[in-house]
Amino acid sequence: MPYIGSEDTVRDLRRVLSNPNVQSDQLRYRNTILKVIRAMSQGVDVSGLFSEMVKACATVDIVQKKLVYVFLCSYATLNPELSLLVINTLRKDCQDPNPMVRSLALRNMTNLRLPSLVEYVEQPLTAGLRDRAACVRRVAVLGWAKLHNLQTNSEIDAAVVNELYSLLRDPDPVVMVNCLRALEEILREEGGVAINKPITHHLLNRLKECDIWGQCEVLRILQRYRPQSEDELFNILSLLDVSLISPHPPVMAATLSLFLSLCSGLPAVGLAALERVRGPLLAACGNTSREMQFTALCHIQLLLRSLPGLMGEHYKRFFCGYAEPAYIKQRKIEVLVELVNDDNVAILLDELRGYCTDVNISTAHAAISAIGRIGRSYSDKCLEILTELLGLKQEHITSAVVQTMRDLVWVCPQCSRTVCSAVEGCEAEIQDSQGRHALLWLLGVYGEQVSSVPYTLEVFIDGVRSEASVGVKMELLTATVRLFLCRPAETQDMLGRLLHYCIEEETNMCVSDQALLYYRLLHCGIEETRKVLQCRRSDPSLGVLIGRPAEPINQWSYIFNTLEPLRPGAIETESATIGGSPEHMTFDPKPNNDLSDTLSYSFAPLSLSLSPALSPEEFEDLWLQQQENYVYMEEHVQCPTIFRCSPQSLQAAMQLVNIQTLAFTPPHTLPWRVYLYTNTQNKHSADTCHGTLILGELLYTGEEIQKKSKDEENVGVFTYIFLARRN
Amino acid sequence: MSASAIFVLDLKGKVLICRNYKGDVDMAEIDHFMSLLMQHEEEGLICPVMAHGNVHFMWIKHSNLYLVATTNKNSNASLVYSFLYKLVEVFTEYFKELEEESIQDNFVVVYELLDELMDFGFPQTTDSKILQEYITQEGAKLEVAKTKVPTTVTNAVSWRSEGIKYKKNEVFIDVIESINVLVNANGSVMSSDIVGSIKLKTMLSGMPELRLGLNDRVLFALTGWSGDKGKTVVMEDVKFHQCVRLSRFESDRTISFIPPDGESELMSYRINTHVKPLIWIESVIEKFSHSRVEIMVKAKGQFKKQSVANNVEVRVPVPSDADSPKFKTSTGHAKYVPEKNLVVWTIKSFPGGKEFLMRAHFGLPSVENDEAEGKPPITVKFEIPYFTVSGIQVRYMKIIEKSGYQALPWVRYITQSGDYQLRTNV
Repeated sequence: MPYIGSEDTVRDLRRVLSNPNVQSDQLRYRNTILKVIRAMSQGVDVSGLFSEMVKACATVDIVQKKLVYVFLCSYATLNPELSLLVINTLRKDCQDPNPMVRSLALRNMTNLRLPSLVEYVEQPLTAGLRDRAACVRRVAVLGWAKLHNLQTNSEIDAAVVNELYSLLRDPDPVVMVNCLRALEEILREEGGVAINKPITHHLLNRLKECDIWGQCEVLRILQRYRPQSEDELFNILSLLDVSLISPHPPVMAATLSLFLSLCSGLPAVGLAALERVRGPLLAACGNTSREMQFTALCHIQLLLRSLPGLMGEHYKRFFCGYAEPAYIKQRKIEVLVELVNDDNVAILLDELRGYCTDVNISTAHAAISAIGRIGRSYSDKCLEILTELLGLKQEHITSAVVQTMRDLVWVCPQCSRTVCSAVEGCEAEIQDSQGRHALLWLLGVYGEQVSSVPYTLEVFIDGVRSEASVGVKMELLTATVRLFLCRPAETQDMLGRLLHYCIEEETNMCVSDQALLYYRLLHCGIEETRKVLQCRRSDPSLGVLIGRPAEPINQWSYIFNTLEPLRPGAIETESATIGGSPEHMTFDPKPNNDLSDTLSYSFAPLSLSLSPALSPEEFEDLWLQQQENYVYMEEHVQCPTIFRCSPQSLQAAMQLVNIQTLAFTPPHTLPWRVYLYTNTQNKHSADTCHGTLILGELLYTGEEIQKKSKDEENVGVFTYIFLARRN
Repeated sequence: MSASAIFVLDLKGKVLICRNYKGDVDMAEIDHFMSLLMQHEEEGLICPVMAHGNVHFMWIKHSNLYLVATTNKNSNASLVYSFLYKLVEVFTEYFKELEEESIQDNFVVVYELLDELMDFGFPQTTDSKILQEYITQEGAKLEVAKTKVPTTVTNAVSWRSEGIKYKKNEVFIDVIESINVLVNANGSVMSSDIVGSIKLKTMLSGMPELRLGLNDRVLFALTGWSGDKGKTVVMEDVKFHQCVRLSRFESDRTISFIPPDGESELMSYRINTHVKPLIWIESVIEKFSHSRVEIMVKAKGQFKKQSVANNVEVRVPVPSDADSPKFKTSTGHAKYVPEKNLVVWTIKSFPGGKEFLMRAHFGLPSVENDEAEGKPPITVKFEIPYFTVSGIQVRYMKIIEKSGYQALPWVRYITQSGDYQLRTNV
């Protein structure tokens, strides 16, 4: 940083430094050097004093030496020629009887980072490896790594490598660990230090002598070792068991990482190890340091991917304190979502509701969307809370709630009725574009369920001139056209005005092109438009409803204990895995072949009954009562997700959407079939017998198609046969 | 691990001192740190790791300093944070307070320490007891004579030097427990735990061999063995100082060690159990918009009658725009701290089983404050001497030294509040 008067400072300092009177007075000499270093720390460019400082390093005063070395190492690269002068002093210091002076000289010799000096450094370094004092050996070992780093392409002497390998048996644990570090650096091209059985066992035996830094290093390097027999593997694991529950989070994490890599072929052992670290990980979450807490939370999220039930009963440990920073609160909220079960859902939701009014807006949003995620399994309670939050009439909360509701409806279409009545009338509070985008999507898709939609859209259309967001304008177009399809009389006029504005006056190409597209589409007739625009209302995959399946550990073990899990969004959130929110679907009117679409074409406003499920007997009775008026449908579906899950989880998932199972064949038999039944909601009465009854057969014949896609996975073919009866 | 460089910055982001260990990351990268931090802060998304290109900054904040490690590798985050906290610990032991001024006043020692703590991005000697033997602040007094190698660098007992002498041989043992409580607005205890530690102040000559005896209940808790009472606590996260012979503890449950000289923490533990909050607070806060806030707080000592809590402070949050405070207390005194938006009710001595009341009245302006305010909880501070929540007791401390001197152990117990929060409705 240039600094007023810096040149004067340098000139003054040079004058004092070269004054022989000062040089002879040790105290004054040292104080002057102190001033130079202080100026350097303050950002003054004092590189011009290099030659004066070189002279100053020939001294018996260790502190002065250290200071001069700090200076020299900072500016050596700017003055390679003058640095040559220092080498002599440094080499002389390497012969000093005091080991501290020797280690200091060696360290700074290698810290000068000048390739031209390498030839002078090698000899003292070789001598340093055999020094009596451990502190000199420590420096010498790392010195070789530094040299290699300086000229990575040069061949390193095989004798040195051998010497380093033999120093792994050094009595000093730090020398041993430094050897590992240095070899790792020098032999990087060959894949790092060679880890064979004797070295592994030696390192494991000496693990206890090392400090935590050393232990982590050893544990990391041992990850490359592959035990030769199962006996050996289990011996190693039982040796490591103590470190696995170490109170030092870094050691614990490094051990777990090693465990997971050793047991990559034994998933059960890996899972047992995860159970074992539960205690230490929870303890790390209560660490006094926030950063350590944060790191622990991020890693817990990884573990939960394989063992979702790991922290279930400890959910209270993830409740947020008032003064905690937002980054911890948000991670805790993400963890809490994973821990929900039937027993704790009430307490958890109560706690999360408290976070929704957090001063930090992004924490509040995280809490609101967490409630939405829980709502996929516990819709009623969550919708109640979300509706209540709308009552607060806070701009940012309302917007977040509407977005969350949209995402919820996308995966749980049975909530649409509650959501539609809740969002009615909240358009005035939503100011940001994402919130309005979400609201418009809801209004467009469920236009027939909310009576006031035309008025709301009219307000939007009247204000379209001042609308800044392109996304909102495009969503508005889609929503209005959709509304036109189900309520033409009320919408026709405003749709005309909107299309006129968008085609004639709008400057943004995307918006006007879309308006033009809709305009031409409407020319093709109502039926054509309907086909294009009445796309699915819910996510077609069932994956979410089953809950996230437990992933194998090796899906994430390679990023465990690195920086990766700390990155925002590094842990895949559920919404990301299922293809996100419905907004992506809006402009995707390609014909689909799957189940939900077919259903919505034939029985346009179909919604399944939310009332208590019929028992199989009741269903049979009702079915037999109605003999005529049925629809028959057969559909082949390629379905990679259902194919892998068990009949039980399929059944549970179906029950969540109010589809009951009548009967199914035992697992692993082919053809495998299951009979499903359900009934639709009746708009006029709650009486179940007035709805449509649906009976379905799901048939899996065992045929597999080798899909030649990039992932090349097997895809099962399911046949759905549907029978529906209306009264 | 591999941190490429370590920086100490002031609050404005100016580099106070730095050390380039590996030379593989441009030192000028640090100029991006502050702008990144500001940018994240604006978005409300501060994160302890930030990326600029392929360089990652991992940072912690301590008083008015930022300690930043840069790396371009996918390094082990928890290890880097541990190291940064180790830096804070070591600096604090040297300068008492680690802050901008102490860094500037002691930059020579800081350079020396940075040199010893890490080499080529790998932590080396980090034990402050060892470091203090050869990096001393007296260095400034120019002692050329001090070129003796400290014994600890090569010694078998790395945490204690030989030849220590005291006139009077004494050991002071402090058993300190702090309790963390989180109580919901409706009065149910959401979580509670006890964090305890045994601290030593050793003033003993020579190489003494110490043996600490704890009461059985605690020993069982330490080992997770459940007694016949059925009501045992399990200690989690038990850490011993490196001097304790763990093998000995694992075989016959004795805690034996050669203590470091001076102050040290022998062990620490955490008990995650349901404890009755020692001071229970009931509060009624009524906010009448545009006119006033009325606060009624009742504090009850839920501990033994013989014990007394000292220096009790109940901190009750009030709206930031409150004015004209009026207080009425049955004991102690209440004070309004407008800069923190708190009423602090102080009770010097609070006997167990007693109940006290405080009423406060504030005016509110007729123009409403638009700023969103969170719901800060009521926090309580206290300390109760001669008492531990977990029931841990020191039964004996045996001191054996080959010269055979007599030494006195002193024990002190204290329970204090840790993170003690009671949520309110307002």
